[in-house]
Amino acid sequence: MNTQASTPGILQRLHQGVVAALHGWWRLLHFAVLMFSMALTPASYGRAQRPILARHLVADTVSNLAWFGVLSALVSLVLIRIVVVTSQSYGLSRFALEMVVRVLVLELIPLSAAAFVALRTTLPAGLELAQRRHAANDASGGELHREFFPRVAAGVFAVWMLAAVSCVLTLILAYLSLYGFTPWALAGYTRVVGQVFNPAVSLILVLKIAFFSFAVGLIPMATSSRISQGLGDMVRVFGVMLLIEIASLMGNYY
Amino acid sequence: MTEQEHEAAPVRNAEFKAAILLVLLAVLVLGSALYLLYARGAFESTQTLILQADDSDGVVVGMDVTFAGFPIGRVRRIELSPEGKARMVVDVPRKDAHWLRSSSIFTLERGLVGGAKLRAFSGIPTDPPLEDGAARTLLVGDPGAEIPRLLAAARDLLQNLNDLTAENSALAASLANVAGVTGKLNGPHGAMGLIAGDDKNAQQLAERANKLLVTVNALAIKADSLIGHADERVFGQQGTIIQLNGLLADARNSLKKMDAVLVEAQAVASNTKEATADLGALRGEVESSLRRVEQLVNEINRKWPFKRDTEIKLP
Repeated sequence: MNTQASTPGILQRLHQGVVAALHGWWRLLHFAVLMFSMALTPASYGRAQRPILARHLVADTVSNLAWFGVLSALVSLVLIRIVVVTSQSYGLSRFALEMVVRVLVLELIPLSAAAFVALRTTLPAGLELAQRRHAANDASGGELHREFFPRVAAGVFAVWMLAAVSCVLTLILAYLSLYGFTPWALAGYTRVVGQVFNPAVSLILVLKIAFFSFAVGLIPMATSSRISQGLGDMVRVFGVMLLIEIASLMGNYY
Repeated sequence: MTEQEHEAAPVRNAEFKAAILLVLLAVLVLGSALYLLYARGAFESTQTLILQADDSDGVVVGMDVTFAGFPIGRVRRIELSPEGKARMVVDVPRKDAHWLRSSSIFTLERGLVGGAKLRAFSGIPTDPPLEDGAARTLLVGDPGAEIPRLLAAARDLLQNLNDLTAENSALAASLANVAGVTGKLNGPHGAMGLIAGDDKNAQQLAERANKLLVTVNALAIKADSLIGHADERVFGQQGTIIQLNGLLADARNSLKKMDAVLVEAQAVASNTKEATADLGALRGEVESSLRRVEQLVNEINRKWPFKRDTEIKLP
């Protein structure tokens, strides 16, 4: 009798879970569409909104940029050195630069930039917003403009900025590590970089950074429009990032 | 809690700083895009070179064509020609095109490690420059193609080796024989068993050899006693050597006597020599006496009337 009673219970819970998940994704999609429509609306950048937007943009980006720049430079230097020394020991040093560019610039830097912004900015901001909304117990169109859009835009911009700065910094560090302070290897270096960044790879990199930024900016804010699930937000953010990374790897290497 | 308390921390000149960040991002993105376009040769004036090969394996779009190790061209497109050959359309920057001449040759080298390499060689630099859109045939050097041949040869070699080391091969039989020989050598009869072949024969041979050795031993003892006797005979009290010594002493005495006889003979000879010298003088004297006698007889005859015989008989 117990089994007969428990089987519909499991099915019911499964059904409820699936419906809740689909509902959550639907809300996320809805929220994303709202944010994109706001981003495309000139009024979002109007005189009234500009100070809030600028404040979030600067606060979210500058503090992350300094720390992430230093950390990514250090990690990049270590990895570049490992790759260069290993490739030299196997007599494959002509492939070292290509490997460094592919591993660091194409894969690791964008992923770590997005993860850094998510952990330091958007997830805490989403949690805080959810608690405030739970206390206030209302949501309005004005609040979306005033509270959500600046945070989402700041998160997205922070990912772009961190990724761009770190990629450029890593390319410079790779050149200096491989050739030292000489301009004479620039032609060969440029040629190799040009071969790595063919149109497809460049497009995939841009799309990857863009989707990372959307995931990092939108998902914590979308879930904060209702009662936050805490750790669940982080899992959802990193799950989406993982899917994007897998898709980009398949695009690049298959 | 008011709404203002939950606002982000106030930032001085936030809009200005945000503008700087936006400009920085735009500069980074645009700069990177321009650099990548430059790196991919988007701003270079190029001429086209078409390379044809039977197989474009290893050639990818974007790979370099090198001249003396320097990249002077880039593969833009790879397509299949109507003749079923691979056509590689290469963009050569006009500033580097002077390295390519009408007599230049192009090679495709596939290494065992790393990608393929397209190389250009210009043997005669005074030849006219390569014209735009020129089509050339690629010479393909492929160590990878040697691998199947090498594998076939290695397979043959291994097969031969297998035949050589097979269970019923000549080498295995020889080795088995060697093992048998060394086994016999290590066996109870040792090398004798190896020579005799059969253990029974070896035993017989060993017995005969033992008997022979006994006989030889007895013979040696006999020879020893014989030598002892001979020694005694030769070197003993009545030995031959003693007698020989006596004989030699006698011979020495005889020789001494002979020496004395010789001395006397020498003296006789000298006397004879002296006598011979005196005999010459005597002869002269006899001859002169005879002549005088003859003269006397002649004179008597003349004086004596009856001459009967004028001949005088010498004593």
